[in-house]
Amino acid sequence: MSIFSFILLLAGGFVAGTFGALLGLGGGVLLIPFLILVLHIPMHQAIATSIIAVIATSSAGAAMNLERRIVHMRLGMLLEIATVTGAILGGITANYLSASLLVKLFSGLLFLVALIMIWRIHRYSGLETVLTDGILPGTFTDDASGTSVTYTVKNVPATMLVSLIAGNVSGLLGVGGGIFKVPAMNILSGIPMKAATATSNFMIGVTAAASAFIYFAHGHLHPIIASTAALGVLAGSMTGVRIGRKIRSNFLTWIFAFVLLGISLQLYLR
Amino acid sequence: MPDFISLSKTTHHDAERWTGRVLRIGVWVSAGLMTAGLLTAAIDSSTIIAFSSNPTLNNVVMQMFSGSFDPVTLMFAGLVFLMFTPILRVITAIYGFSRERNWHFVVVSSVVFILLAGEIMYSLFLKG
Repeated sequence: MSIFSFILLLAGGFVAGTFGALLGLGGGVLLIPFLILVLHIPMHQAIATSIIAVIATSSAGAAMNLERRIVHMRLGMLLEIATVTGAILGGITANYLSASLLVKLFSGLLFLVALIMIWRIHRYSGLETVLTDGILPGTFTDDASGTSVTYTVKNVPATMLVSLIAGNVSGLLGVGGGIFKVPAMNILSGIPMKAATATSNFMIGVTAAASAFIYFAHGHLHPIIASTAALGVLAGSMTGVRIGRKIRSNFLTWIFAFVLLGISLQLYLR
Repeated sequence: MPDFISLSKTTHHDAERWTGRVLRIGVWVSAGLMTAGLLTAAIDSSTIIAFSSNPTLNNVVMQMFSGSFDPVTLMFAGLVFLMFTPILRVITAIYGFSRERNWHFVVVSSVVFILLAGEIMYSLFLKG
């Protein structure tokens, strides 16, 4: 790898991590297209690299969220049974699929992610209703209002089913899968967005680890590419979290939704 | 709905505190190893040029314990450490829940741990 490619990869990882954190994505959604379209890295290697980046961002973010007590760890662990199972099956399947098919599937995933992003702008423009008559009570302090939010959980089996699919997509295509889990926890289980996002962030690292060793054993993990991308994404996501406290723009989400649609088309036609 | 899901405990601070600590340490150690690997690779690129395929999990661990800290080993050690961090977070969750005597979630977390351990065993089998 040339010094130019190294710097490009570090910078690409940083940008993917920053915007991933700003937009509530794991970073893999932006990192994988960068790896295959700009650096021409094979698809399986790009997925393995992205999985490492997802573990790094999840671990860093979850450490912070756990200390702030926003993560609903009991629900997270319960849903992990489904996501880990899905991710292991996804990781095994991916290694039997051709790179071109995985690129097409990833293109479809980006299209879906873009649509979910646009839908979420409309969905979360109003106030949330907190349920108190469910199970697994949780509490966190809302930084914005300074008030303590107590909530409960409903429809755990339905959210587990979505988590199984999210885990499968994670293992198959190297993304965190939070884009599916967060709306499922919020809409199906009635968890406040902040708690759902923090719990999902805590979960995606464990989910990613469920397929990481499979990609490692298949020889898809290049030490320099994976280390450089992971360090770039880690620094980027930490920056994104800091900037995100000051910037909350639907405009940014709109722009990136259209960027993802464009990348999706480019990958499909590749 | 199974009984364990309808528990009303809200105090799970031990599990959170322990897990948070492990994650923070895990990220910094692995980032340190990967950075050291990349820096030593920049100084001595011979091992990188010789690199052709992934080592096994056993190789990485054996190289580290034998005191061989070439760039590739350092980077893989960082990557493997990072891959183990989420598993450590499940182990600390089991420990935290057991300190709270929340046995139902000790079982839930243990199931997650068994699934992850199974995946590692499968990966070791793949590598021969």
